[in-house]
Amino acid sequence: MSRIPMQHRGKRPRFFEAKGVDELMSMVLELTTEIWVVKKRLYLLERVAGAEGVSLTPEIENYDLSEAEIKDLDDLRHALIAKVIRVTEGEFVPTYKVAESNGQANQNEEAA
Amino acid sequence: MIKNLSHELALPPARDEHTRQEFVSTLRNHVLDKMAASMRRRYEAKIKPDFERAHGRAPVDGEEVHDAMLRDSYFCFYSAARYNAQEMVHQSVIPLVDRNMEALNDRAHKLRESQDVGGTLTLDPRIEVPRSVSSIDVHLSPGSYHSEYADNDASTGALYDHASNVFAFNQMGKNNDDIGHSFSNYIRIAHPNFKPDNILDVGCTVGHNTVPWAQTFPDAHVTGVDIAPALLRYGSARAKSMGRAVDFKQMNSTALDYPDASVDVVFSSMFLHELPLKDIRTYFKEAYRVLKPGGLFLTMELPPNNKMEAYDRFYLDWDCYYNKEPYYKPFRDQDYVELCTDAGFPGSKFFEVVLPRYTYTDETEFTAKAMQPPVFDHRTGRLSEELQWYGFGIWKPA
Repeated sequence: MSRIPMQHRGKRPRFFEAKGVDELMSMVLELTTEIWVVKKRLYLLERVAGAEGVSLTPEIENYDLSEAEIKDLDDLRHALIAKVIRVTEGEFVPTYKVAESNGQANQNEEAA
Repeated sequence: MIKNLSHELALPPARDEHTRQEFVSTLRNHVLDKMAASMRRRYEAKIKPDFERAHGRAPVDGEEVHDAMLRDSYFCFYSAARYNAQEMVHQSVIPLVDRNMEALNDRAHKLRESQDVGGTLTLDPRIEVPRSVSSIDVHLSPGSYHSEYADNDASTGALYDHASNVFAFNQMGKNNDDIGHSFSNYIRIAHPNFKPDNILDVGCTVGHNTVPWAQTFPDAHVTGVDIAPALLRYGSARAKSMGRAVDFKQMNSTALDYPDASVDVVFSSMFLHELPLKDIRTYFKEAYRVLKPGGLFLTMELPPNNKMEAYDRFYLDWDCYYNKEPYYKPFRDQDYVELCTDAGFPGSKFFEVVLPRYTYTDETEFTAKAMQPPVFDHRTGRLSEELQWYGFGIWKPA
């Protein structure tokens, strides 16, 4: 659990008239970020393995995952989904409190 | 590829974290250069002619352009992408800072205690953070810039510094310090006989633009002031890690804790547009009071709306509408000369500059361009690959 809040206070603007398009836009951008993260990591993986003299492709095709590894991947997949839909979570679920100069204020309090 | 900060307080991101920061930085670059250029073409080709047909004239100000753009789907995609990218800037650095909080605070403390380099930190617990700061997550930054998460916390400083680095897509200097370099060197070059002893940077945050003044004027006493202790703790440690003696003091710009006529330069950068107008007016009066006769009040800011075309007004004011910066447009709508003269400065001593970026430009070319009369266009004050800084100054009569 992060001590620093991940979501800013106040309402997000709506740029699109149709319901849900703003959220979809957020999801697409988050997804694109994560696709890039994976693409770059695979790129690096292939280069590193190749430099070590290992041809990875057939090894990947034939690899048996352990129970612990399956659990690890389950957790990672959940985390990816949570990240992709984080905009809807932030909209409806109050998640943090922020210190104010004169006490505590909830994130849903509108800016003065 | 995003460059990591190159000072001792820079936190090392994990590989995927760095990749994520790199993506967000590239996304912002793409939105603010490529999408911005497409949006402008779309405005010229369709939205402006449509407006002219409907009204018998072109839009006269930024609000009219904004109203017309609101119905345009490209503007919506541009804005949604830019808004999300802004949120993602913060989210790409928060876990890094949160995870390293103890080590960061420890390192910052040790640097501040170090006697190898001069420079002090003075905090004043009596100073209350104003509601204009504490109630708004400015720049969509969760917790804003005044929050603290541990004893003697510097993590908000780290958030600001690392987020700025992602935000700037390598356009604001190696350590986000090009503004400080550009303006201090402009004064050195344009006014070779001006030898300031005492320089203040007001609203300095982490001192990224304060440290360059100590580099440009090594004999001067340079002080950064801000309202937020966590920013100042980080800023003081950051300056020391760079071997620069800079004092940092917690102070409100509306009550500068300096005697009358005691300062040679009162500088600020990207600061006024975060202040309510009444605080801007009080700060200008304070600047006039603390300046010595012959002293310089110098401000790096966004250019005033009264010097810009309607479309450029709209373009710059996006941040006011969508980036939690409610004082941004009210400030830009002011006549900057009047703000100065209302505070007691003589209007005849007012000047404006539009500067190329010092750390990206050869000094000869910088000097030639900086000495030209200011030209206001789509590049002025707009973060992009063509960025030029805007500023204004006024001298207190000798």
